[in-house]
Amino acid sequence: MLNSLNRKVSIVIFLIATLYLFYSYQIEPSRFAKIDADVMPKGLGFLLIVLSVLLFIENKEETEQEKAKRSLTKEEVGLLLLIVLFVIGYILLLEIIGFIIVTILFLTATSRVLGYTNWIKMLIVFVTFTLVIYFSFNELLGLSLPSGILPF
Amino acid sequence: MEVIDNILNGFAVALSWKNVFFVFIGVLAGTVIGMLPGLGPISAIAIMIPLSYGMEPASALILMAGVYYGAIFGGSTSSILLNAPGVSGTVATSFDGYPLAKQGKAGKALAIAAISSFGGGTISVFALMLVAPMMASFATQFGPTEYFALMFLGLSAISSLSEGSTIKALISAVIGLMVASVGRDLLTGTARFTFGSVNLLDGIDFLVIALGLFALAEVTNLVLTRNKVNTGNESEVGSLRITKQEAKEISGPIARHSVLGFIIGVLPGAGATISSFLSYIAEKRISKNPESFGKGNIKGLAAPEASNNAATSGAFVPLLTLGIPGSGTTAVLLGALLVAGVTPGPLLMQDEPNVFWGVIASMYLGNIFLLILNLPLIPLIAKILYIPKRLLISLVIVFCLIGVYGISFNTFDLYLLLGFGILGYVMRLLSFPAAPLILAFILGGMMETSFRQALIISKGDYLTFIQSPISAVLIAVSVLSLLLPLLKSKMKKS
Repeated sequence: MLNSLNRKVSIVIFLIATLYLFYSYQIEPSRFAKIDADVMPKGLGFLLIVLSVLLFIENKEETEQEKAKRSLTKEEVGLLLLIVLFVIGYILLLEIIGFIIVTILFLTATSRVLGYTNWIKMLIVFVTFTLVIYFSFNELLGLSLPSGILPF
Repeated sequence: MEVIDNILNGFAVALSWKNVFFVFIGVLAGTVIGMLPGLGPISAIAIMIPLSYGMEPASALILMAGVYYGAIFGGSTSSILLNAPGVSGTVATSFDGYPLAKQGKAGKALAIAAISSFGGGTISVFALMLVAPMMASFATQFGPTEYFALMFLGLSAISSLSEGSTIKALISAVIGLMVASVGRDLLTGTARFTFGSVNLLDGIDFLVIALGLFALAEVTNLVLTRNKVNTGNESEVGSLRITKQEAKEISGPIARHSVLGFIIGVLPGAGATISSFLSYIAEKRISKNPESFGKGNIKGLAAPEASNNAATSGAFVPLLTLGIPGSGTTAVLLGALLVAGVTPGPLLMQDEPNVFWGVIASMYLGNIFLLILNLPLIPLIAKILYIPKRLLISLVIVFCLIGVYGISFNTFDLYLLLGFGILGYVMRLLSFPAAPLILAFILGGMMETSFRQALIISKGDYLTFIQSPISAVLIAVSVLSLLLPLLKSKMKKS
């Protein structure tokens, strides 16, 4: 019964809808509003339940094209996960070490794992890019990016 | 002669040296980003938004509009040279553009595309100038009931017109509305779905969604295709010359499809993609030798190019006069306007004529820039296609992260951004369209407000939505548009 992908997806969506509905019923009522803050969320929750059921019933076979989109090698999945980890690292360190250093590190690490090998070109592009962004944000836009451990 | 005054005024705004510069930057950046296969106009606009922080509203809008039609323009270059459309609106361009390039006539194809785009862009801006004021004065009669119905129509149209399963598109739209409901309720101030977090009280910023769902998710495309070297030879672009005979031949399609494209662009849900396909099919149907289409027919190239550019101007009609975007791209554009402090709607023309007419005038200028950029500089610009993707990927990611950090200075939003990036990628894997989600997200707050206001006026009577004639028609059309795909699949079976 759950053999097709679309059916599995429909179950997940059903669960999301139920969870959303559960929290919609927790919304505190307001004394003044005639049409309160919970009307729309409740409606949306039920609508999503109906749609997930429809998706389950529809049970469309995937087209070849759609299947091809999902065929990833283990290597590629690993690579994408690694980049996600780099992004998390970037976010964690941004306010501690500062924009300039973290950005240059991130750019270099990501391009390396993607297989770019020309170190000199890479460093020239990345250092210029980072400095241009940093100073144009700070000077032109007046938004200061975290300087972190660097003195400027 | 108030109209002429307004137009002249608009040109005065658009021709200030600062705004000329922004038009130029906008179309240039749009052309470059649109050219890169994988990154569409939504990403192009979202990536450029951080640059507009702190700008005057008119300048910001001029810049963003330039990015939008520049991206459509740029997409055609990669369609013709590489058979890899940079944006979905230029897929039809590749049908006859790429065969021409293969015959060694890439230069001619690019020139025809540029001229057709220029024609489509310019004719449609003229139409925009005529239609927008009428639409705005019509829209002043709209109350919350009509607005709700109009937004409902926008959402159902984009869902029924998107590729693949309509149910999946509707699920995307509902999830977009749900994401929009996070945060403090606009009318009562009650916290919803914030789970006690202060970070969620003000809701999720639209830039987080736009950059995550589109730019970040599209980067994964680049990651997976990074080893594919673009084959194509920029030295063999060939002559750009078009003969008189050819110019005569394409003038008909340009005129026809500028009008068709504009009309389709005005309609909610449809846009450059649908209009370019329709124009291509229509041109093929009226042609005396339809079998030459797909083999390098210049009419088959001119038609979709005129049409997709006309559709982008058409899309500005509902955006500027009603404040309601009809597509994912214009939804992001609306978000960009709100960031800049402009609230589009029927009153924009009266209250801020500088912004309204300035943008329209800037579009004439932008189309001229695009023609100049794209004709002689094509061989040079085409080199952008050969930038190593491995370098580009990390730069795009950093741009997204900094764009979001620049508005909130809060790392919480960066995690959200990453989360939406992953969601966007998963949606692509499972064939859920992302455009309905972003449109629903942008419309969510407005839709809920007008829905509740309408009900407060009607004292809780839900029939109000079908008692107002305008709203009744709009809702009937929405329901029809949702039933259409169902009927179509039934007809196919029997």
